[in-house]
Amino acid sequence: MPIVVEKLSYTYMQNTANAHTALDDISFTVGDSEFIGLIGHTGSGKSTLIQQLNGLMQPTSGRVLVDGYDMNDKKQRAKGRALIGMAFQYPDYQLFDSTVFADVSFGPRNMKLDEAEVKRLAAEALELVGLDPAEMMEKSPFELSGGQKRRAALAGIIAMRPKYLVLDEPMAGLDPGGRRDVLELIARLRAELGCAVIMVSHSMDDIARSAERIIVLNNGRIRMIGTPEQVFADTAELTEIGLDVPKPMQLAAMLKQRGAAVPDGLYTEESFIEWLGRAVKHA
Amino acid sequence: MDERHSMISVENVKYTYDGAETQALRGVSFDIERGEFVAIVGRNGSGKSTVAKLLNALLIPEEGTVRIDGMDTIDEERTLDIRKKVGVVFQNPDNQIVTTVVEEDVGFGPENLGIPTEQIIRRVHDALEAVDMLSYAKSAPHMLSGGQKQRIAIAGMLAIEPEVLVLDEATAMLDPLGRKKIIDIVNELHSKRGITVIMITQYMEEAVDADRIIVMNDGLIDFTGSPREVFAQGDRLRGIGLDVPVIVGIRDELIAKGLIAPCDVLKAEELAELLCPLLLKN
Repeated sequence: MPIVVEKLSYTYMQNTANAHTALDDISFTVGDSEFIGLIGHTGSGKSTLIQQLNGLMQPTSGRVLVDGYDMNDKKQRAKGRALIGMAFQYPDYQLFDSTVFADVSFGPRNMKLDEAEVKRLAAEALELVGLDPAEMMEKSPFELSGGQKRRAALAGIIAMRPKYLVLDEPMAGLDPGGRRDVLELIARLRAELGCAVIMVSHSMDDIARSAERIIVLNNGRIRMIGTPEQVFADTAELTEIGLDVPKPMQLAAMLKQRGAAVPDGLYTEESFIEWLGRAVKHA
Repeated sequence: MDERHSMISVENVKYTYDGAETQALRGVSFDIERGEFVAIVGRNGSGKSTVAKLLNALLIPEEGTVRIDGMDTIDEERTLDIRKKVGVVFQNPDNQIVTTVVEEDVGFGPENLGIPTEQIIRRVHDALEAVDMLSYAKSAPHMLSGGQKQRIAIAGMLAIEPEVLVLDEATAMLDPLGRKKIIDIVNELHSKRGITVIMITQYMEEAVDADRIIVMNDGLIDFTGSPREVFAQGDRLRGIGLDVPVIVGIRDELIAKGLIAPCDVLKAEELAELLCPLLLKN
């Protein structure tokens, strides 16, 4: 069963002079093991939206159903929330225990499992993200590098075996190698655990490489929703709302301007290079 | 002003943080000339942020010397002069904003340096104008976006009227628009006012316009060169946790497939110019 967002609206400080509509009539579904990219400039409502998905905030109107559990209902919310794993932009806020292993065990322990099962889940999660469980029994989260912290925070989430991974800018602040590793890790976790991924990112190139579907938010509304091919086809609209376009598409647009016949949908490096190879042979 | 020495001269500098087992810097040397625009790139933990803190005497080398316009940072009597000359903007704007009104925040630096009030007023005005935030002079910093806060942090540095501006991953937490605005402001400060710029970054795209790139790895300088020279070495960069800009990655693939001849283009426009004749043969 999917996540269903139905006519969701949210107003900060409702009924005051400072009332501000952050989300306005949002509807979409997230299918099982689907990879959704959520994009929009700062202030477009992305962060507010993902906090609605796990019931950290409740809508002013409309609702969120997680596998049928209505997140407006207090009892059902706990069940829905158990299916969602959330990672925030700054891993430092999610790591607080004395050792990394204790941190990763925190979630499963809260699920009231027996100690052996808690240990097993934590060790498995650490291995999945590429950290050595034995080493992490000793290590303080503060001794980790930026990329390792990101991994540890992800391990803490997947130790709870979520069905949906909600990731807010999981690559922010990482170097190019770290970005590549985390992106590959997310793809691997999805393949091995079968979970759906909802990823917020400012990097259109990263979104183009990973997402099956893209939701574009602007001023609290869904401006576009579709496959990368559909969304990135409208370069002018993305630019107008302050977003980037993947680099291969920028290049394609420049070739078009110069009179070359370039097809739509060349949003990844691979597709661009492959097309160019064919086009040059036939020119 | 003495023109015989470099604006910045770093000589065989070593540094270890308190309680750390390994050295953050293991012997780093470089010179930066007046008016140069230098990018320093390196993976997380390579030592590049430590360099930033050494340049305005926030840290003092445990071995070797750092000289700013001839002044040794170890000389405490020159610390204030050094900080007038070198302004550093860090990654998280929230840690750099100290007051509750934007204009007070921008004036905080010059006030601490004992600049007369009427001069501070002019400097704050000019600095806010340079970062396009004049209309926010009376606003509360916490109501601003991350990108706007970072522009205020830059204005705070400009109000000190430094000759060197160091940006330590100042765009890392910003969205593409916020990042572009900062880069445009920095490019203008460099080209129009001749400010020496040291841009420490993980975004390879941001290093493309530099005069020179210093590549750091594991507390040492791995190699240096012009952007065209540095980005000709994709494998070497990937081997130390870095990469080339996306356009250069496409260029290298096209060269490897024999579709274009080896070349050193860095930007989409240049690559488009190169590809057009291949596509428009008939």
